[in-house]
Amino acid sequence: MNAGTADAATQAAGRGQTPAGASAGSPRGLSVEGLRKRFGSVRALQGVTLHAQSGHVHALLGENGAGKSTLIKILSGVTRADEGSVRLDGELLTLGRPAASTAAGVRTAFQELSTIPELTVAENLLFGREPSIGGRVLRRRLNARAAALLAGLGLERIDPTAQVSTLALGDRQLLEVAKALREAPRLLVLDEATSALSSEDSGWVLEQARLAAQRGAVVLLITHRLAEVRAAADRITVLRSGRAVLEGSTSDYDDEQLITAMLGRRMERLYPPLEPASGGSALSVRGLRVGARVGPLDLDVAEGEILGIGGLQGQGQRELLMALAGATAWASGSATLRERPYRPRSPQDALAGHVALVPEDRQREGLLLTHTVRANVTLGALGRIVRHGLIDARRESATARAGAQRVGVAIDRLGTLAGTLSGGNQQKVVLAKALVGEPSVLLLYDCTRGVDVGTKAEIFALMSQLAAAGTTILFYSSDLSELVHMCHRVAVMVEGQVRGVLSRGQLSEGAILRVAVGTHHSTDGAVGADRAADLAQHGAARLQARGDDDGGRAA
Amino acid sequence: MSASAAQAVAPRRGALVGRVKISWTGLTTATILIVLAVVDFILQPALLNLLQIGILMQTALPLVLVGAAQTLVVLVRGIDLSVGGIMVLANAATAVWVGERGGAHQLMIFLILGLAAAAGLLNGILVAVARFEPFVATLGTWTIFNGIALNILPTDGGTPPPSLISFTFGTTAGIPNSLIVLVVLLLAWRALRGSRLGTRIYAVGADEERARLNGTSIVGVKLFVYAAAGLLAGLAGVFLAGVTSSGTPTAGDPYILTSVAAVVIGGTSLAGGSGGIGLTMMAALALIFISDIISAINLETWVSVAASSGLLLIVVVARTLIDREIQRRRT
Amino acid sequence: MSAVTAFLRERRITIAAYALCAVLFAIATIHSSGFASASNVRQLLVFASFVGFAALGQTLVVLAGGLDLSVPWLMAFGGIQLSSWAASGTSGVLGIVLVVLVGAAIGLLNGFGVAWLRVPPIVMTLAVGGLVEAYLMTIGQLKSSGNQVPQVAVDIATKRAGPIPVVALVWLGFAIAASILLSRTALGRRIYATGASEVVATLSGVNVRLVRLLTYVLSGAAAAFAGIVLSGYVGSTYLDIGAPYLFTSIAAVIIGGASILGGRGTYWGTVAGALTLTVLSAMLPLFNLSSADLEIVYGIVILLGVALSRFGAGALQLTRRSGAQDHNPDMEVGDAA
Repeated sequence: MNAGTADAATQAAGRGQTPAGASAGSPRGLSVEGLRKRFGSVRALQGVTLHAQSGHVHALLGENGAGKSTLIKILSGVTRADEGSVRLDGELLTLGRPAASTAAGVRTAFQELSTIPELTVAENLLFGREPSIGGRVLRRRLNARAAALLAGLGLERIDPTAQVSTLALGDRQLLEVAKALREAPRLLVLDEATSALSSEDSGWVLEQARLAAQRGAVVLLITHRLAEVRAAADRITVLRSGRAVLEGSTSDYDDEQLITAMLGRRMERLYPPLEPASGGSALSVRGLRVGARVGPLDLDVAEGEILGIGGLQGQGQRELLMALAGATAWASGSATLRERPYRPRSPQDALAGHVALVPEDRQREGLLLTHTVRANVTLGALGRIVRHGLIDARRESATARAGAQRVGVAIDRLGTLAGTLSGGNQQKVVLAKALVGEPSVLLLYDCTRGVDVGTKAEIFALMSQLAAAGTTILFYSSDLSELVHMCHRVAVMVEGQVRGVLSRGQLSEGAILRVAVGTHHSTDGAVGADRAADLAQHGAARLQARGDDDGGRAA
Repeated sequence: MSASAAQAVAPRRGALVGRVKISWTGLTTATILIVLAVVDFILQPALLNLLQIGILMQTALPLVLVGAAQTLVVLVRGIDLSVGGIMVLANAATAVWVGERGGAHQLMIFLILGLAAAAGLLNGILVAVARFEPFVATLGTWTIFNGIALNILPTDGGTPPPSLISFTFGTTAGIPNSLIVLVVLLLAWRALRGSRLGTRIYAVGADEERARLNGTSIVGVKLFVYAAAGLLAGLAGVFLAGVTSSGTPTAGDPYILTSVAAVVIGGTSLAGGSGGIGLTMMAALALIFISDIISAINLETWVSVAASSGLLLIVVVARTLIDREIQRRRT
Repeated sequence: MSAVTAFLRERRITIAAYALCAVLFAIATIHSSGFASASNVRQLLVFASFVGFAALGQTLVVLAGGLDLSVPWLMAFGGIQLSSWAASGTSGVLGIVLVVLVGAAIGLLNGFGVAWLRVPPIVMTLAVGGLVEAYLMTIGQLKSSGNQVPQVAVDIATKRAGPIPVVALVWLGFAIAASILLSRTALGRRIYATGASEVVATLSGVNVRLVRLLTYVLSGAAAAFAGIVLSGYVGSTYLDIGAPYLFTSIAAVIIGGASILGGRGTYWGTVAGALTLTVLSAMLPLFNLSSADLEIVYGIVILLGVALSRFGAGALQLTRRSGAQDHNPDMEVGDAA
């Protein structure tokens, strides 16, 4: 696109005017001009301009915190932009109302899943379009229509009368895509739609994307899996820090260039050197079962070791870490912590045993958003700042300051409300809180999710320091690259059990992925056609799917 | 009162009886009701005729209606403390305005019901548009409506129209009218529940953010719910005027907390998104049976009070424990 | 946001509550200058202190995310049980201590049901209140020989220390103690955390059940004490003595700027709320309004007070015309900021 006209168009859009000649001869497709959005002091989008043509699959890449989430929410009408415009096939899209976007033919498969868990599959699938007579929903027809829809997509195995909360995460993700396809869309947005899917199901999603494009839609594919991008997308846009920094044809860029564009720096400098784990056994778990679906799990982790927990989303990683943190009940099993028995019945027990957790959802599980940073940090160790029954203000300040400094949060932020911080800073505060009690075991659940690159680097550096000082770290990340670079070993979980443990020498993204999706293809073999064989065969999927901030968890 | 202080969400799936799916929640509530009803019938065999049941239903209907109103609001994760106020407002208006003017009684009563719905709408506006916490908004409107009611009718008295009185005590085709109203309410609920609006109500209560994502007008749904609740509360007040043949402007308060108790006992979750009027209806009847049993045994006042509170406690604790067990079985 | 702004913001809510009270007081004084007389102010302080004691426990319970509807019955219990024991010879101060302890025990029952059995607070405290009511009926029946309030209670309620009523000083003491508890102790932090987010509090190692239990225990004790003082003032005890205080204790907490969901608010705010409600009800006879009109004004003041405190916190949110959600998907700031 000519830089001159792009500027003029952007300026015009910014002034709220229709760029001259825009409607005449503008290509069919999605046209985003100069989109800006800020939330308080955080500038999520700083003038995003993007053009995606009908009939094409357009990949949208970017680290979390880059603005993808915000862009998607603007497209689907959930949020309204401060400035800028969105056009679909030349028509200006009314922003800020989900109904308007839907009416314009925008269909989104949300990463955090828009299906309501308490309703049935059919009710969700046909929400707003239920067959009814005089207001009364015709149940049988509803279920039948849903069944037909699912069958037409090849998803017969999903029961339309089942309550969505009973579905496995993978099926829920498939349902999310099916919902977006219930009518032919003009713009199909697939936001991390394969993060919990087997290779077969991922292939199905990509196939649907291609079919939708063939039928004339614009397809926006948001994913971290570069292999998927290569397999399915014609063009790529990379977002970074609220701007589009790269746009072009997929074949014009190699993975290194894409990653560098996303990170803004070379990947290798992101990760600090790791000292080998030296100590004796720190944590030893035998036969841990959580609920009916997770376990039995056996683990041995050494002092100073960073053990990665890998696998697709929803394979029991959360239950494992929550159980070790005392937050979920142990159905059975035993553990020793530094030779002493460890079986926490509450997070209090865990903290007393110097086991600290950085939970999955920093806003709902990690932070009191309406309290100050200081209050949040000291919440984890109130006993330390109390003297003669009362909180010693000086000790509290000192503790909070030390905690903040340790994780790199500016001191002048101690009095601000946690809810006003950026995602990266919020994560650091949660980390600070966990570290206040000088834990010997640190449980990290996807702690770099939705965090900007600079903060990530700081967190990795901190992890390395802690490990070198003897802290044992269990590190779950949905990002394969992180697991490879930050862990001494990686235990890959599949369906509630540890399917394999990869030692440092064996660690590679491809290796982890192979264990995670259960394929055993060798890396050299014939290039397959459409299906997921592509994924394994193109080798390492660099960045596994990860959750944007609202998290892909069911409510 | 945080949402976490509310009950665990009761699941909607349960046993398969024949081809009909009955929820465990409903089963539990029905059992409670049946047990209490049986005890009451054993104590008072005379109760086992249609007319006597009709009289019992007359006593029950105001609570059932107020309970239904509360249920609707609770379904969208709210609470309505003003149901008592709207009730006495309609009650006082019926006793004072309708009786005095000759003729056009039905029209006046419809207008009063419209007023009640408007009162509920005010609640809805405060909650959905002005974003007040439901507890706070309805605490404020409760006293306002209460005050207005007392202005209309400062003490017990007034003359509700004879047509209303004869309706509440009368029968149609041999069936007590109060029973008919009960059945109509149930049918209306089933219609709402099976409608698109019904699905939206549950969606908003279960997961407001996702409901919005799916294009639901949260404000619209809540306005409807609160207005409907107002209407039902108003209906309760009108009916009460017929039953007591006078206006009772101070009678509203006990209904508020009892309606919440009925909702809880019935199994509707205070966090919204599950349950329904059918459950609350059964629970309200159960509470009526409890008080009927206690008055039948003819104990001293303090024993009655202790027994009703104690039974309430037992039933609620049992309900909570059962719901937790159901939750545990699910996972 | 800077530390100073955050400090002011939190105080702004409380300040707004006091401002409301001051405005009402001013209106009353303008209308009738006698309102600001020393004797009237004393009277107001005394009445406000009753609300203040009743609302003390309520504040703690609400901050932790609960609600205590047994307050009126615990108040009645305070007065009635004390006279009953006094009649059988238990001396004043010891009697007071015992009654407060039993009140705490009743609160323990509330707390157990809410925190361990997970019964919704509205229903649990309602039922326990009913049981207390039944119990009080039995005492009332057995002690037919009037109800003498021990002199100690009367003294506290009616005596003055210089120009200031003793009961107001006691209230001040309690207020300071409550304030210290909430802002300067670990328990206070845990209470706020529990009310703000039970999940976060639990994961951070707070024993949420114990914290909630304690708030109900303290509420029971405070309400019992409130009843003692109230009956000391009235000179007798009766079953319904606490009835008006259910509404006023909750309203005081709300007007004071606390969030009914918990996690935000101070006792000083509740104090302002208690004063506001007292001034309000004292004002109304001046304007020739009936008690029915008083109710209407109460409701309006509650709604106004809450709107004011939200405005003061800058959080007044009217739905945008389009209903668009304005949350940063990276940063969902809660509504109750």
